[in-house]
Parts: sequence; C-alpha cells; structure tokens
Amino acid sequence: MNPEIAKSGYWAQAQRASVERLHIRLESLVVLLVLSGVMAMLSPFFLSFSNFLNILLATSTIGVLAIAATFVIGSGGLDLSLGSVMGLAGVVGASVAVNLGAPAPIGLLACILAGAAAGYINGQLITRAMVPAFIVTLGMLGLARGLALVISEGRVIYGLPPVMVYVGQGRPLGIPMPVIIFLATAVIAHCVLGYTKFGRHTLAIGDSEAAARAAGIRVERQRRILYTLSGALAGLAGMLFMARINSGDPTAGLNYELTAITAAIIGGTNLFGGRGSILGTMIGALIMGVLQNGLNLLAVQSYYQQMAIGAVLILAVFIDQYQLRKESRV
Amino acid sequence: MTKSGKTGLGILLGVAMGVFALPVSAQDGGEYGVLMKTLSNPFWGAMAQGVEEGAKEAGVKYFIQAAESDQAAEPQLNLCNTMLERKPVAMITAAINSTNLLPCLKSAQDAGLKVVDLDGNLDQAVLDKEGIKITFRIGSDNVAAGAQGAEYLVSKLGKEAKGPVLVIEGLSGNITGQKRATGFAAKLKELAPGLEVVASLPGDWDRGKAASITNDILTRNPDLVAIFAANDGMALGAVEAVYAAGKGEQVTIIGVDGNTDAVKSIKEGRLNASVAQLPYLVGKQAVENVKKALAGETVPADIAVPTLVLTKEVLDAGKEPMLQYVK
Repeated sequence: MNPEIAKSGYWAQAQRASVERLHIRLESLVVLLVLSGVMAMLSPFFLSFSNFLNILLATSTIGVLAIAATFVIGSGGLDLSLGSVMGLAGVVGASVAVNLGAPAPIGLLACILAGAAAGYINGQLITRAMVPAFIVTLGMLGLARGLALVISEGRVIYGLPPVMVYVGQGRPLGIPMPVIIFLATAVIAHCVLGYTKFGRHTLAIGDSEAAARAAGIRVERQRRILYTLSGALAGLAGMLFMARINSGDPTAGLNYELTAITAAIIGGTNLFGGRGSILGTMIGALIMGVLQNGLNLLAVQSYYQQMAIGAVLILAVFIDQYQLRKESRV
Repeated sequence: MTKSGKTGLGILLGVAMGVFALPVSAQDGGEYGVLMKTLSNPFWGAMAQGVEEGAKEAGVKYFIQAAESDQAAEPQLNLCNTMLERKPVAMITAAINSTNLLPCLKSAQDAGLKVVDLDGNLDQAVLDKEGIKITFRIGSDNVAAGAQGAEYLVSKLGKEAKGPVLVIEGLSGNITGQKRATGFAAKLKELAPGLEVVASLPGDWDRGKAASITNDILTRNPDLVAIFAANDGMALGAVEAVYAAGKGEQVTIIGVDGNTDAVKSIKEGRLNASVAQLPYLVGKQAVENVKKALAGETVPADIAVPTLVLTKEVLDAGKEPMLQYVK
C-alpha cells in the first residue's frame, strides 16, 4: 500500500473517530447531569461539597483502572487482570515498606513497579507467545491474586510509614490526595490518548490492526507498552487504596476489572477497539459513582445498585449503537 | 435521538431509581447507621433482624447497609463514607477486615459519633495506633464458644475418656477460627487430659476440605473419638466423611454457629452438637447499648453475647429460652 494513501485514510478515520467521541461525550454528560439532578431531588444529603469530594474519592481507584481499560480496549485488547494486579501492588508496596523497612518513596514506587511488571508479562505473553489476551490476562487474574495472598499470608499488612499514609489520607487544601492523583492522571492520560502519536497509534491498532501495520505502526511493540502501562496504572490504583487504609489488603480490587471495563464502555469506548477517550471514560466512571453514592444515601440495598449499573451499561451501549446506525445511514 | 428524547430517557432512569429508594427518615433524635459485611449470609441476615427488632423496641431510627459481598473491602469503605453524609449519631460497623474502614471510623470519631465494633472484627492494637476510640465492641466470645464445645464433649464422654481428637480450624490466619480452636483445645486439656488433640489443621471454612482432612486423619488414627470444627460447614463435611467410613457411632462431632443446616443434621442425629452463636441477639443488644451510651450511661467496653450448645436433646425438648434467638 502507498504510505501516502494509508496516511490520508488514517487521518480521515481519526477525524471521524473524534466526532464520534464528542458525540458520546455529550450523551453521557447529559445522563450524568440528569442523574445528579435526580439524586439531588431525592436526597437532601447529595448536594454538598463534602459529598462531591466523597464521590470523587470513591471513584478514584476505579477511575484509574478505567483509564487503563480505555487504553487497552481502545487498542482492541483486553486486560482482565486489573483488579488482581491492583491487589498485588498494594500488598507488594506494604510488604516492602513494613516487612523490609524500605523508605516511603520506595514503597510507593514498588506498587507501580509491581503492577508494571505484571503488565509487562501480560504484554510479552500476548505478543511473543501469541496466547490470546483474554486467556493471558485471565491467567494473570489468578496468578496475581494468588501471589498477593501468598506474600501477605492471607492477612492485611498494616502500619505504613506516615508519608505513604499521607498519599491516601492527606488533604492539601481540603482535597483528598487520592482525588488529586486520580484527576492529574486523568488529565495526562487524556492528552496522551487524544493528542499524541502514541494515542493515535493505540486507537489505529484497535480500529484495524492490518491497516495500522501497513501504515508502519509497530503493533507488537505498541501492545507491549500498552499492557505494561495498564499494569502500572493498576499498580497506581493499588497504591491509592493501600495508602487510604494504611495497609496492603490482598483482597483489594476483587472484581474491579469488570467495573473498570464497564466505566470505559459507558464512557463510549468501543469494546472492539478503535474508539475511546479518557474524558468519556471519566464521565462513565462518574455516572457509576454518582449512581452508587445516591443510592447509598437513599439506603438502597447494594443488590439494586448492581442492577442499576447493569441497566446503565446496556442503555449506554444502546444509545451508542443507535447513534452509529443513524450516522451510517446519512 | 433528539435532545429532549435523551433528557426524557434520563428522567425515566431517575424515576426508575426513585422507585427502588426506601423512605428517608427524618432527623429527630438522630439515626443510627448500621454497616454490615453482607446480607447474603444467614448469619448477617439474623443480625439485621435483631437490629430491626431492637430499634423498634427502643424507638430509635436506623438505616442499614451492606457491601455486595464480604470481600468487597473498598466498596464497604466507600459505603461507610457515604453513610456519614447522612449525619447519623452512631455508626455500628461490622468491618470486612481489621483495616478497611479505618479512615471512615476516624472521620466518624472526628464528627463526634459513637462508633461500635459489631462482631469484633477490629484489632485493638491497630485502633490504638490510629487513635480511634470505639464506644464498645459486641459479639460472641469465640474462645468461650470453643471451650463450650470441649465442655460438651467431656460431659458426653466423661472426664476419664481417652483417645485421639481432631481439630479443624478455619481459614489459616483468621482470628475467629483460631480463637475457637484454641479455646476448645485449652479447655479440653484442662477437663480431660486423656483426650489428646492429635491434629489441628486449617479447613479454610470449606466443607469439602474438612471432609478430606477427616478422611486422612481417620486413616492415620482409626480410633478417633471426636472432631471439633471451627464452623458448622466444616463440621458437616466431617460428618459425611465419618459416616462414609462407617464410624458414625464412634466419633463425636461438634461444630460452631448453629446454622440451619447444622440444626437439621443434629435433629437427624448425625451431627452431635453445634455451639450456636446468636447473631440476632448481637444485633438487638448492639442497638440497645448504643441508645444507653447516647443517653450518657456507661456501657461496658466489651459486650460478650452468650453462645448456646445445641444438641438433639436441647432441640427436641425446646425448653431452652435462648432457642428463640436461634434463627
């Protein structure tokens, strides 16, 4: 294929993708605002600054995992090990700090490195051993969780140094640290996915691997980086939760991979790749956060909350598909 | 879809959510927030019943919430934080582990709430380090429950009895299972030194695993006289293995919890005894004591709710007044 043509075709695709992205952003933004309005009407406790921070805090770990999910799913991949790697990272970080007595920055870094290592292994197995991503990351889901339980002997590792606890419990200017870290990560990730070559390549691979390859994108290398990044973000999420509860909990993040994927999909990420934006994903994560928070304030049983989130997921994809069909008809 | 269509859809969604919502109670006198591990387990279900009954009798308002499973540590923390937004006067909490609720308990304490440890899931050493003072802790005394199991065994076999005994512990590292197992072993040694614990192994709360442990030990010690399991599920697993080996008459089996399956098995004459916890009573007394504490009365820091040994005789007679609390 002529590289010039491939390039222009690629640009047309990118433009179309950005229009679609904008669309779903508006859709989900409307849902988020309406949902918030309804919750404010139903519960007198919903509309307060402290509750607003509470929602962001509750969304911080899932939000970071959803960023990872957006990158990987956007590239046509899948990472089912997010929740387990998050649990492993927290245990590794806590163990390094508490059992080995390492200084706080090393403990924090250990979380992210542990996550990145798990992600790196995922990437290697997927691109070099050619095992499907579903299988590799499903295997890692078990491996990482098991390793977390082995390292911690099934117990929480309590008593981190104060600097590590500050990352989870500190409130500079009254804003919880996890919220600050989460929002900063989201802004950086949004720019990377939306405005850099790395981001364009990611979505191009998800759109059509063959076309991306023809256009000269080093697909395997890109995938390896993406899975490592996904693992590192899961490590970051693990670090945030570990710091919040001043301990490494081997069961942390149980089933979070599915929640993170749900947030990304509600936010408009195409499950089969090629389309996704971090802003959309953040709106998706917040829709779930607001829904849960509101229902909790109303003391609705958690069973109904799971039903509500399931319904929102199907609804979001339905609206998405409806839009796409309408556009393709025009 | 048009813009108004979208909004319509959103409102529809909101109304649908509203239907699920329970009525929000007013603030007079203050509400008690009750946070459970999960409600999808008869133990916690019975405790919730007790809370409901206790609140009704004491005339206090409460709202009860639970995480989706007893392993959802972070969701439970988020739930706890959200419950604080409702400005309750007390938080009665059954934490999933000893640390997952710490930041929330701290906030609750800072807001001047009474904080209660329901069922003893918090670790006093951790609380001291975090500077959290709980109002009281309430639950069954697991060491005493184990000891009651030993007392029952000795009453059945006699002080002079001799023979090997198997102890099946809970999940390795779990404090509740450890307390029950050690409570049993210590009391047994004191009352009937001839009954020797030949093995004490973790059954991980798992019926199947308990059955295989029983099989293994029966091979090694064919003259086994008794098995104490740290919960009923494992005791029932042991029952199956013992009966399959044709030693139902020879081995006395004791569990802990008093759950429905165990009660059924005891009535059928298979399981010999279960040391029943009374979660209903725990829930009820928790609410009653919070009310006392809020009124300024002194409440003991540690409230142990009694446990009750269920046997075929006790169940058939049906005279024991505490049986009404076995749910």
